[in-house]
Amino acid sequence: MLFPTSGFLFFFLVVAAAMMLLETRFAAKKAVLVLASYYFYAQWNWRFCFLLAFSSALSYGAGRLIGASTDRDRRRLVLGTAIALHLGLLGVFKYLDFFLLSANDLARLLGLQHELPFFEVLLPVGISFFTFHGISYVTDVYRGDAAVCRNPLDMALYMSFFPQLVAGPIVRAAYFLPQLARPSTEPIPIAPALLLILGGLFKKVVIANYLATGLVDPVFAAPTSYGAPDLLFAVYGYAVQIYCDFSAYSDMAIALAALVGFRFPVNFNQPYRAQRLREFWQRWHISLSTWLRDYLYKPLGGNRHGRLKAYRNLMLTMLLGGIWHGAGWKFVAWGALHGGGLALERLVQPWLGRHAQHKAARVIATVIVFHFVCLAWIFFRAEDFAVARLYIAGLGSGWGEGLQQAGPFMVALILIGMAGQFTPAALFEHAAATLGRVPSWGLGVTAGIAVAAINALGPEGVAPFIYFRF
Amino acid sequence: MVAIEGELPPTTAAPSADAIPLKLRRGGGSARQVFAVTLIGTIVLAVFASRDLTSWLNGLGDGPILAPLQHAAAEWDDAMARIGLVGPHDALRLAIRRLLDWEWPERP
Repeated sequence: MLFPTSGFLFFFLVVAAAMMLLETRFAAKKAVLVLASYYFYAQWNWRFCFLLAFSSALSYGAGRLIGASTDRDRRRLVLGTAIALHLGLLGVFKYLDFFLLSANDLARLLGLQHELPFFEVLLPVGISFFTFHGISYVTDVYRGDAAVCRNPLDMALYMSFFPQLVAGPIVRAAYFLPQLARPSTEPIPIAPALLLILGGLFKKVVIANYLATGLVDPVFAAPTSYGAPDLLFAVYGYAVQIYCDFSAYSDMAIALAALVGFRFPVNFNQPYRAQRLREFWQRWHISLSTWLRDYLYKPLGGNRHGRLKAYRNLMLTMLLGGIWHGAGWKFVAWGALHGGGLALERLVQPWLGRHAQHKAARVIATVIVFHFVCLAWIFFRAEDFAVARLYIAGLGSGWGEGLQQAGPFMVALILIGMAGQFTPAALFEHAAATLGRVPSWGLGVTAGIAVAAINALGPEGVAPFIYFRF
Repeated sequence: MVAIEGELPPTTAAPSADAIPLKLRRGGGSARQVFAVTLIGTIVLAVFASRDLTSWLNGLGDGPILAPLQHAAAEWDDAMARIGLVGPHDALRLAIRRLLDWEWPERP
């Protein structure tokens, strides 16, 4: 069940009715949200509900055991076991066939005849996200950063809450669980939430979907059939597509959570305006990058043990961040490019610092960072290494050819997507404040007309969000 | 990754910064208003996007429950067409099709 569908609208209408009827009964409201979240998840494959329930029970039990013990070794053992089980599930469902394929490739390289059979395990949607939720909870409890969750209903809701269940944002236990302890006394921010939903729908349904079908998919499917200008615009198109696709999901998740009374953290902050690669990662998928920082980079030693170890830690973190996105060497290459870029940036930081004050230097830095990110996106989007190699080779020749696939409308969509990176935040706040003065019926009419218009502007049907497969 | 501890520039949101800032959350509404907005929005959508309501229901498959709903949706869409309310939807679809067909001028 995708957010921009009629099915989801009717689902949310029922949830909103339940929230209205149970407004003062907080425990019942949470129970309904858990049921709704499991129903939402079951729309993909009901069997995976058991996996989600197991992951939640594991986190809950490990948290209780860690909280109940004062023995450091025992606490560490429980933490290690819980993390190993979480990662084991992720490994089996997401990476098993990738490991087997890699083992078979290695065996062939060594001249061995025997090949391991594949299991063709079905990837449960959202497993990477709820696994990270579980790991962050038990680790935070172990570190003392989060209180032990004593209510299984709260843990079930934290792990399964439908707005973030299948594609994030990755909400930390220390951020979300306190919201489940007592009902919020804050009013529901209806107008900003509606703006986020409408903006998200436009980004996904119009910009991301048209760029995918009209430019990115055909060019990446046969890069040798196109000249360099088309290849360049297709990679710009993918940069805008993936941003519009993923940030749209995050915006809608934030808004839906707000409409049922919960706060979510910011997940995207105009990433393509970054002047440093490090800054890009502070603006792109913030909940993942901070997760990797706090649960991987820092435990590895961060930048506390000298320059060389900081580079190694950056590289390892980005490689693992790459493979988190998918079971494939192209994701490893994408992570390696970012890790290498971050390390290089750190290396030349003293020199950069001296030259970064000029306005022209800042513009040039933004252009360089954007193009580096685009280069990495080629590996991320291409079917495999061979296609990525052909794509990059194609960018080096055929500049005399005109644009075949990147028509004026596609270029306009790219420009609209990029313009969104540079709009001031005050514009959103002003629009939300203006909309906030409209009465409920007016908001409903406005939202209905806007959704109908976006729906009419978009192509028939809605493609799944890119991050669902991660 | 990001993260070179202690080096976050001031423009960057902290990991736990609320996506909807506090000043925008102050003037909000209640769960009743959320339901009202959703219900009214759904009705308006059913009026102006009756074409999509029909295609969505048809896409759900067949069955004893779905068949009358699909029939009702088709009748509803016909009624909306008769009073001209599918006009904006069709006009937008046509406009976007023209934009998709838009081509660069031929090079001399």
